[in-house]
Amino acid sequence: MQMDFHYYATYCAAYLAGYSHEESLDIAYSAQFVDHCSRTLLAKIKGPSNAATTQLQLEMMDARTDPVGLQDITRIWSSFHFLPKDLYAVKPKCSKRYLHKYRLICGPNGDLIKKTVELAKGKPLQSVGIAMHVLADTWAHTYFAGTPSLVINNTNYEFYEMFPEGDGYSEKRVTFRHKTSVPDDPENSIYTNSLYQRSENTIMNLGHGRAGHLPDYSYARYRYLPAWGEYEEIVKDNPSDYMKAFTQMIYAMKFIRGDIDTFETEKYDTQAVEGRKDRIKEIIEKRQLIASDDWKAFGEELSGKPVTEYAMDAYFEEYTGSSDEEKDDTFLGKFTQGAIAHKGMVINEIFRSKNPLAGFAKLKKIKED
Amino acid sequence: MTPFQRVRSILLGLVMLGFALLFILDHDEDSYRFIVFILAAAMTIKGLKDIFFYFTMGRHMVGGKIILFQGVIIFDLALFTATLSDVPKIYVLLYLIAIHAFSGAVEILRAMEARRTVDGPWKVKFSHGIVNILLALSCLIFIKQTNTALIIYSAGLAYSAVIRIISALRKTAFVVIR
Repeated sequence: MQMDFHYYATYCAAYLAGYSHEESLDIAYSAQFVDHCSRTLLAKIKGPSNAATTQLQLEMMDARTDPVGLQDITRIWSSFHFLPKDLYAVKPKCSKRYLHKYRLICGPNGDLIKKTVELAKGKPLQSVGIAMHVLADTWAHTYFAGTPSLVINNTNYEFYEMFPEGDGYSEKRVTFRHKTSVPDDPENSIYTNSLYQRSENTIMNLGHGRAGHLPDYSYARYRYLPAWGEYEEIVKDNPSDYMKAFTQMIYAMKFIRGDIDTFETEKYDTQAVEGRKDRIKEIIEKRQLIASDDWKAFGEELSGKPVTEYAMDAYFEEYTGSSDEEKDDTFLGKFTQGAIAHKGMVINEIFRSKNPLAGFAKLKKIKED
Repeated sequence: MTPFQRVRSILLGLVMLGFALLFILDHDEDSYRFIVFILAAAMTIKGLKDIFFYFTMGRHMVGGKIILFQGVIIFDLALFTATLSDVPKIYVLLYLIAIHAFSGAVEILRAMEARRTVDGPWKVKFSHGIVNILLALSCLIFIKQTNTALIIYSAGLAYSAVIRIISALRKTAFVVIR
């Protein structure tokens, strides 16, 4: 997902869940900041490097792909962008090595998303934003894994975009190219994807790189052959999934606020969008590369207040200007604490499932005076 | 690349360079056999690795059979290479010409593909391709000279060693944060 959903749509969902305008902006900022909090950025503001929630393209190009390097990549991408759906998934007659990767395939409504949302309860708004980023991405990044893997994440030429027509759909084969300097061309179904690389662990085979940005576009409906799918086609209906993501975010945030006692998977707050469903559907289904303006306008209609543009460096000065003792109480201090807590939880759950791909997290005991 | 990886890469490059110089300056029948052995061993490992990868991972992948075919072909080539020590050197030269020309063409095609992307490191690939084609041409030109195969192979080895050392010394885009 992109800024349109992680920032503006998250703002709308938070507001509909009952948060104030200011609180909703903080949640939205935190959700979007997950896509920017790289080690490079943390080094710049002198933050803890283990709080990284993403990797820059250049960082990844420089990353090692030996077992330790792979664990580092997997920790970040599986925790924040490709949350595994089922860490105990069964695949008959396959090697352990294959099974470990297979079990990291992302999807919504898994046990880990329940734990993610529960972990954010009672925590600062920054943790709520992080959880909403993770939750939303489970819908967009379904069927791909947050670890480099050819055998899981590869796609081939059997990739068709689907367009509603009458009672059914018309189809057009997607043309993939490798020009990152040229924007995607939805009119002609031409999209940029990563290069095919034969090596299992190359960074080119991380996540949905081989399917380009199609999973990130809310309007996209497509069918394709996932590498892990045993030649069974999958139809991905983003408009339907994005609507579920939006209504599940509202439901999750109502739980975090304490309006609901328990968080259950497969539950969506459709009531909160009653009367606004067509408007949301219209934004989601509009064929455009970024829907920020539409979501922003919708958010301003909801709250009656201006939704400020996302400014990545909004809290840098507060953080860098604080002493070491004060840092944890700053906006970014709370964000990094939330990120470390979430990452630790996911790594430990993966490790508990006897999957070595993310390594393990150490519990740091703090001595009390 | 970590400092340890850099040091390891530089050391390996220096060892390769040493062998290349040794073969060029002091070539005899044993060094010829040694090179054929190394080639065969490298291809055997690669072929077996591909076959193993297919049975443990690739067989579940859509289109994964191509990995098995590739592994079998490379393994087959490895076995063929291993038999070359007993055949006239002219066949070894023809074999080297075919190998270098083919891999050179593939590298150039890959480089052209990578060039279309902003981040594709295409220049190194392209130069690899050109060097391979030049090596193939050299084999063809000096086909009648004795020990050509050894010298050509050594030149290729020296080139790989230098590229490895240069890559290890290359400035990385970002400081690794610990």
